[in-house]
Amino acid sequence: MPELVAEPMRKELDKAKRMQGDMLLSYFDALSKSGVTGTKIGYSFVMANPIELLATFDILPLFPEITSLNISYRGGAPPLIAQAEEVGYSTDACGYVKMGVASIMDKTKTSIGYIPKPDILFLSYSGCQIYIHWWEQYHYQTGAPIFTIDVPYLRDYDRHVPKHDIEYVAGQLEEMIPKLEAATGKRFNEDKLKEIVRLSGKAWDLWKECVEMGKLKPTPFDAYFESIYYMAPITFARGSQKCVDFYKFLLDELKLRAERGIGPTEREDYRLVFEGVPNYPFFKKFWGLFSHYNARCVASTYPKVAGLVDTGSFRLNPEKPIESIAEYMIHAYCNWNMPVRTHLIERYVKDYRADAVVIHSIKSCRSFSMGQGDIREYLAKELDVPTLLVESDHVDPRYYSEAQMKNRIDAFFETLALRKNRSQIN
Amino acid sequence: MTKYFAGVDAGSTYTKACLLDENSKLVTTTSDMTGVNIVAATKKVYQAALSKAGVREDEVSYIVGTGYGRYKITFGNTQVTEISCHARGAHYLFPNTRTVLDMGGQDTKAIRVNARGEVVDFCMNDKCAAGTGRFIEGSARALNLGLSEVGEISLKSTKPVKISATCAVFAEMETQEQLAYGNKLEDILYGVHSSIASRSIGLLRRVGIEPELTFTGGVSLNPGMVRCLQEQLGIKLNTSPLTMFCGAIGAAEFALEKTLAVAI
Ligand code: SF4
Repeated sequence: MPELVAEPMRKELDKAKRMQGDMLLSYFDALSKSGVTGTKIGYSFVMANPIELLATFDILPLFPEITSLNISYRGGAPPLIAQAEEVGYSTDACGYVKMGVASIMDKTKTSIGYIPKPDILFLSYSGCQIYIHWWEQYHYQTGAPIFTIDVPYLRDYDRHVPKHDIEYVAGQLEEMIPKLEAATGKRFNEDKLKEIVRLSGKAWDLWKECVEMGKLKPTPFDAYFESIYYMAPITFARGSQKCVDFYKFLLDELKLRAERGIGPTEREDYRLVFEGVPNYPFFKKFWGLFSHYNARCVASTYPKVAGLVDTGSFRLNPEKPIESIAEYMIHAYCNWNMPVRTHLIERYVKDYRADAVVIHSIKSCRSFSMGQGDIREYLAKELDVPTLLVESDHVDPRYYSEAQMKNRIDAFFETLALRKNRSQIN
Repeated sequence: MTKYFAGVDAGSTYTKACLLDENSKLVTTTSDMTGVNIVAATKKVYQAALSKAGVREDEVSYIVGTGYGRYKITFGNTQVTEISCHARGAHYLFPNTRTVLDMGGQDTKAIRVNARGEVVDFCMNDKCAAGTGRFIEGSARALNLGLSEVGEISLKSTKPVKISATCAVFAEMETQEQLAYGNKLEDILYGVHSSIASRSIGLLRRVGIEPELTFTGGVSLNPGMVRCLQEQLGIKLNTSPLTMFCGAIGAAEFALEKTLAVAI
């Protein structure tokens, strides 16, 4: 059976996860107390959100994707999914949506507590078609106003975004300011925005340094399974000093791990690049299927859904806060087209000296998963990179079968072992 | 004293076993229904192989288990997935194999192999059993026929019925519906096989079809499926009465070499 993942890593060099957990708990706590404190709750998406602007107005963002994945991680998805299906959602509708919708139905208590309803719905429309309908559903449920920002899709990104696209998004952000003033009764304070943007930029820079530690051989951390924990603060705490402190702490921890040769598995026998959303209900088991083989992920795409931090595509600039937020918003992962996403993975394989790619496809999410078959084909056939595609769901445990998953992963490692032996013989 | 090497394949429907001698010669094969008690089934089939070949237990140097129940093979030395085993087994029977299609009770696998029979790439059906042998089983049940008959009967088809579904759960309903329309048994069965064939060709295309293509697993004994695959692919498939034992043969080959046992 898979060994305990964190076992070989000394406790003192695995503190950032705990710190993240504490931050998350106090964030959930603040959310649940919003009714008492009178804090306005703004629902947002993880991808392409203007959280800096919201924070300027002291709006507390709530990301249903984050609450849903946490509920699911703590085993609480099935009752919510069932509740949504009872009112008519189909089995293959996005699990996040079903959980989100059910979690604010009357008297629903989730595995992370009560989820407050939205005061404002921020719809940054980027990449995923579902976003629009999901937020509309919330509007019908709660009557909260929807503030929409339309983000133009990036086709054929060649390290250059047309100026008019940035202006288009920036213009919408500007237009949102008076609406935010009206909704919160607070005056817009540009200096405050600049300071938040500055802190946000700092956190991004540190997070970038962290993810690039995966280039080291051996990598001091698992750039997928551990990053799932590490990626959260860049979304829910971005723009705060706490967030900067967290990434500083993480970076120091990773550097120390590297110095002492400590990593998430006993050895590093395989270096993997990972694509796709994980399956949260079985997260640790799923991780165990890889760590069992002393495989470590060295780079992955999903922890960058909040921002493609290592692509040089955006940089937050306190002198141009609105424009730089706009630029950031355009570079949401699902807002990149398939060939650009594929080439990012290809680049990861090369730059991070990976042995193989694993793609985890999500049954109920077509936005992220669509085209993954083509990615697999390109990598396997054109580049001769061993690539495994497995499928389950991000939140719905019904799509997961341990035996089948293990079988595919075992077979993949058998193939990798043979390949490794061959290359050692030759 | 001659040494022997065993492969035991605990599949969802059948458990198979085989013995190789130290020259890699196939000594014997046995099989039986897996049933609900996998541990008992694997023991029974293995013991049957020993007695059929007249080999004592202590003459067997190494046993590799494969198939879904491989972790239940308590007397085995190690386990290898059936993906690697089918590839090796197919290569054992047909050394020029470059692509393997393995169709079992609840799984279909397309595997690309190199000249040594090692897996280069593979694809499997997703969690649901659509497009696997289960669909044929369901149809057979609906028509009150044995699994071994349906392939033969489908060969008589003159006016094939088009069946688009591949969902194993709806197999019976789908088949009964076609009967209700007044279609002939053989034509419906041809449709059933044809629909499963096209689904597995989709899997094969994902790994790339390179000749020779060897068809393995329980369903490879079904002449109706062989015909449909050949018709749709336009190439001849390698099959033999032994292809259903490919998993066990591959496992025994690994036992002989212990390649993977050392590697993983
Ligand atoms: S990207 Fe996928 S998981 Fe996220 S909302 Fe859209 S469909 Fe759901």
